[in-house]
Parts: sequence; C-alpha cells; structure tokens
Amino acid sequence: MDPLATLKKGFLNGLSLTVDMIKVIIPFYLLVELLRYLGFIRFIGGVFRPFMGLFGLPGESALALIAGYTANLYAAIAVLKPLHLSSKDVTIIALMLGISHSLPQETPITKRAGVNAWLLLLARIVFSLLAGMALNLVWKLF
Amino acid sequence: METLLGSLKGAFLLCGQLFLIIVPLTILYEFLKAKQAAIGGNRRSFAGISGNGLIPLLTGIVIGLTYGAGVIIHSIRSTDIAKREAFLILLYLSICHAVIEDTLIFVVIGANGMILLLARFSLATLLTYLVHKGHPPER
Repeated sequence: MDPLATLKKGFLNGLSLTVDMIKVIIPFYLLVELLRYLGFIRFIGGVFRPFMGLFGLPGESALALIAGYTANLYAAIAVLKPLHLSSKDVTIIALMLGISHSLPQETPITKRAGVNAWLLLLARIVFSLLAGMALNLVWKLF
Repeated sequence: METLLGSLKGAFLLCGQLFLIIVPLTILYEFLKAKQAAIGGNRRSFAGISGNGLIPLLTGIVIGLTYGAGVIIHSIRSTDIAKREAFLILLYLSICHAVIEDTLIFVVIGANGMILLLARFSLATLLTYLVHKGHPPER
C-alpha cells in the first residue's frame, strides 16, 4: 500500500463528496429561508405540530424529517440550521434521522446484499419514530 | 437582498464546517479499506453475527451504507455468510451506520453527540439481539 496515494485518494473523495453536498445544501438552505420569508414555514409548523409534538419537536422540523428521509442528511441539515432549534431538539431529530435517512438511495443497497429490503425499510422508519419518542420522554425525566 | 446574502453566508459557512469534517473522514476511510483484509477470521459470534460478518458490519458502522456498499455487498457474497446472518448484519447497519460522519454533522448544528452514539449503538445491538433470539437458526 502506498500511503501517499491512499491519502490523495481520500482527499479527492472528500472533495467530490463536498461538491455533492454543496449542491444539496445551498438550494435547500435558500429554499427554507425563502419559505420562511413567505410565511410558509409557519403554516407547515401549524399543520405538523400535533405529529411532531410526539417527539417534543416544533412542527416546522417536519420539513427536516421529510428532507432527510427522502433526500439525505445534508438536505436535512440545510433545513434544520435556519430553524435555530435547541440542542435537545436537534439531538432528538438527529437520532431519528440517523436511524432513517436517504431511504430511496440506501434501500436498494440492502436489497443488493440479498436480504428483505422492505422489512428493513419498515424497521428503519418505525424505529426512527419510536426512538424519537423515547428520547423525548427520557429527556423529560432528567 | 440583505436576507439573501445572510442566507448564502450561513449556507456556505455550514458547507465549510462540513467540509472540515468530511475530508479527514474520507482519508481515514481509504486507509481502513486498505487495511480491511487484515481483520476477520474470528470464530466467536455475537447476536448471530460471526467473525466473517464482522468485516461488513464494521465497514458499515464506520464508513456507512452508501460509501461502504461495495465492501459490504462483496464481503457478504464472497464469504459463506448465511442469509439469516446477512439480514442481522443489515438490520444492525440500518439503524447504526456511518456513526462518525452522521454524528459530527449534527454536532455542528448543536446536537449532543454522546447521546446520539449511545442511543444508536444500544438500539441496534438490542434489536439485532432480540431478532436473533426470537428467530433461532434452523438446525
């Protein structure tokens, strides 16, 4: 193994990943700021308040959950940052998103590994929601 | 206009922070991949996952599903890992993968990283163990 070549390859991979990430983050970030400017975020917040309340989260954070599930974590973060949530809220939604994200992209990978991909997909979503509820309850205890 | 500039600044700042996290990680990934062959061969098993299964499992935990897909799929197909064990490995990984990157990028926007790590590892371990116990291998 040539350490220098490995280093270079890793750096280039990081660079190309960052370029991909920028392409996701900038539009999502600007979109959320625009939607907030138009008052749409408050509307979304109202619609999703009862559901997101299960996790102790404000309704607006539903946007981040949707972005993370269907697109990827960078999109979710781009949505989350302009919402300025508390550390507790970010931790809860980060746990939910960590368990379940990039579903259209990652589910085919589990399928290619030869296992029941639908069952895993279901497990990820269910446990993402359950973990969010549980962490919220645990947080209230302390 | 000022709001737009402020947003752009915020967005680029976030990208910069994530860049600083991602590049050291991708470099680490490359070194891990080069070392990969050295791990494995362990006979012990835990929660239905054997020594052979440790390679795809560790790859997924550290590197992630997307980036580590090649190694994970290859190591599951090229060794004699049974379908049941493959499911347990991917069940574990579904809940707990890419833990370094996923955790750090949320820490950047204010999350508590210790809680995230602890919760994902314990949930994945518990769930995999329960499925393993609930569905014993056929003999």
